[in-house]
Amino acid sequence: MKKNIWYILLVFSLWSACQSSQEKPSLDLSNTEWSAIVEQAKGSDLHFMMWQGSPEINHYILEFVKPRLKANYDIELNVIGGQGPEIVQLMMGEKQANVESGQVDMVWINGETFFQLRQIQGLWGPFVESLPNAQYVDFEDPFISIDFQQPVNYMECPWTISQFAMVYDSAKISNPPTNLDELKTYVQEYPGTFTISNDFSGMTLLKSFLAEISGSSQGLNGPFNEDNYLEWSGKLWDFIEEIRPYLWKAGSTFPKEQTKMDQMFANGEIYLGFGFGEGAIDDKIHQGLFPNTTRAYPWANGTIKNTNYLGIAYNAPNKEAALVAINYMLSPEAQLQKADPKGMDANTVLDIDQLPDEWKTKFQNITRREYGISMNDMKEYAIQEPDPRYMIRLYEDFRKYIIEN
Amino acid sequence: MRTKYQNIGLLFFAVLGIIPFALSFIYALLYSLGLVGVANSGFTIEHWQEILESGEFIKSFGFSAFMALIAMVFSVGIALWLTLLFHKKIQHKTISFLLYLPLALPGVVSAFFAVQILSKSGYFSRWFYQIGWIKDIQEFPDLINDDFGFGIILTFVSVVMPFFLLLFIGVFKTERIAELESLAASLGSRPNQIIRRITIPLLLHKTWPLIALYYIFLLGAYEIPLILGQESPQMLSVLIVRELKQFDLTKISEGYVVAVIYTVLVTIMTLFLFLRRKSIRIDG
Repeated sequence: MKKNIWYILLVFSLWSACQSSQEKPSLDLSNTEWSAIVEQAKGSDLHFMMWQGSPEINHYILEFVKPRLKANYDIELNVIGGQGPEIVQLMMGEKQANVESGQVDMVWINGETFFQLRQIQGLWGPFVESLPNAQYVDFEDPFISIDFQQPVNYMECPWTISQFAMVYDSAKISNPPTNLDELKTYVQEYPGTFTISNDFSGMTLLKSFLAEISGSSQGLNGPFNEDNYLEWSGKLWDFIEEIRPYLWKAGSTFPKEQTKMDQMFANGEIYLGFGFGEGAIDDKIHQGLFPNTTRAYPWANGTIKNTNYLGIAYNAPNKEAALVAINYMLSPEAQLQKADPKGMDANTVLDIDQLPDEWKTKFQNITRREYGISMNDMKEYAIQEPDPRYMIRLYEDFRKYIIEN
Repeated sequence: MRTKYQNIGLLFFAVLGIIPFALSFIYALLYSLGLVGVANSGFTIEHWQEILESGEFIKSFGFSAFMALIAMVFSVGIALWLTLLFHKKIQHKTISFLLYLPLALPGVVSAFFAVQILSKSGYFSRWFYQIGWIKDIQEFPDLINDDFGFGIILTFVSVVMPFFLLLFIGVFKTERIAELESLAASLGSRPNQIIRRITIPLLLHKTWPLIALYYIFLLGAYEIPLILGQESPQMLSVLIVRELKQFDLTKISEGYVVAVIYTVLVTIMTLFLFLRRKSIRIDG
């Protein structure tokens, strides 16, 4: 009997070993014509892992991108739910198990995940220069070509650019705070109506605060500086400690995610919020979630502006299909649709000046947001994403000195 | 023939139960020591030191143990009380169907209901506002994501209590406790004595392994404390997942350290339970 068990296990492990070694020959972009890539991609299944938390984004991908990829390129787009940590976990697991043909071809990532994937060499590339539509992107723009103070080097393709903004309900507050001193006065006047989420968005807010404490909007630029960090973050924790009694739930706990803050903003529990996508309030007002008195505004010393990207997994089984899909998602047609304020409402990464005239006019004629602020209006308040180590330390220390204290 | 079936059963148990568990445990152990993991660079006990010195694990373990204990005390207590009071009525079909209902709800749904009912924007808050007990949403007390784990305990009890109620009712019937009670009464016992010396000891004696197993189950609960708990202290499973998903990849091993310690503790508890049960059987 014992023998049998070992025999079954042996067969099973041999079978799984064979499964992972069936791989197509690797793709050499420098020697392949784009038309050959498009031809090769025909009839393939493309697995795209993306965050599925927004109905607008899901609608755009499933109702706009998916049918066009099928009709124009005969590519079947399959969306798999998963964001940052899930993508990283999946690829770490596949790396560990030497899986040569992975579950996912294409991923939607931000700088945080790019930094992690770069550490484990989870991305395939460089590929962006080979995309025909890359000609419309201004790679001189540091907000596109530098991600978390690291050059992107064509390893991920820009998809959407956005800036972090503050959000408030103008029916409840007339003068929202724009710097730390004003924030202190604000929380004393409206106790319990502000908090900081313990997630990417909350840490992005803390980066803005840290930059303000540094005395300049450029204070966090360049490589991580331990001494500066210790000095500035010390002041930041003192500041939060000082306003803690006036925070939501008297600062005894903090929301896990920004979506939780959105819910609290929607039901009037808090009056002040924040978010990427210049605050991302239009879609929530249109859904009836936020009151139409909601407004977005910049922080005086500036807020983080960053780009999110599309990447190809190091072990993507259908790299050609991923290339074709990313090129389509970068096209003026797809980017214009994505910028619709009533839809996904996401800024294009294309440089409008480099577009053919026909498209230039279309982009210039996009209807303006009804309630939110435009990225152009926030231009002078833009801060580059600092070195990722600032984020790592802010996460650790926010927990250590504030949440657990 | 019988041995053959037994062997197949054992094989299935090994293939589906023990082997995956053992392999995962070994993997977690190796990961916690830095021996596997893409972002790890070789053997180190740094992650173990970090977890044992930080105090977060101890706090989290203490919090989980306490939450599970309180929830079990209330669940078993209320179930016993209801059994003693209503054991005849509960045997009625409609009532027992209503009791089965909460058992069919997954933890995440129960937690979601708790948010709907208890949060500051929940039903209670709205009713209190309508009848003028509170003037502002902020005045409603914190019943979820609160300091004392009130929301977690309440939801645990709502999920676990019906199970024990059904269990006690079943034991009440199969052990013919009603007959023993009337026998004791006819021999002159007072009602109080009957409950304390016959009914409760019999019910608990027959069910304590399940009570202990449910305690272990609550100790490792995930969805309910994830949705209803606060950021610190967190219950064990929530802490483990947080560590595994953290931004700093070099510290993911800390999640495996917590997972290993938790697995060892739970295994010891289960073995202790199993062995003690066996020895009681031999003695008895």
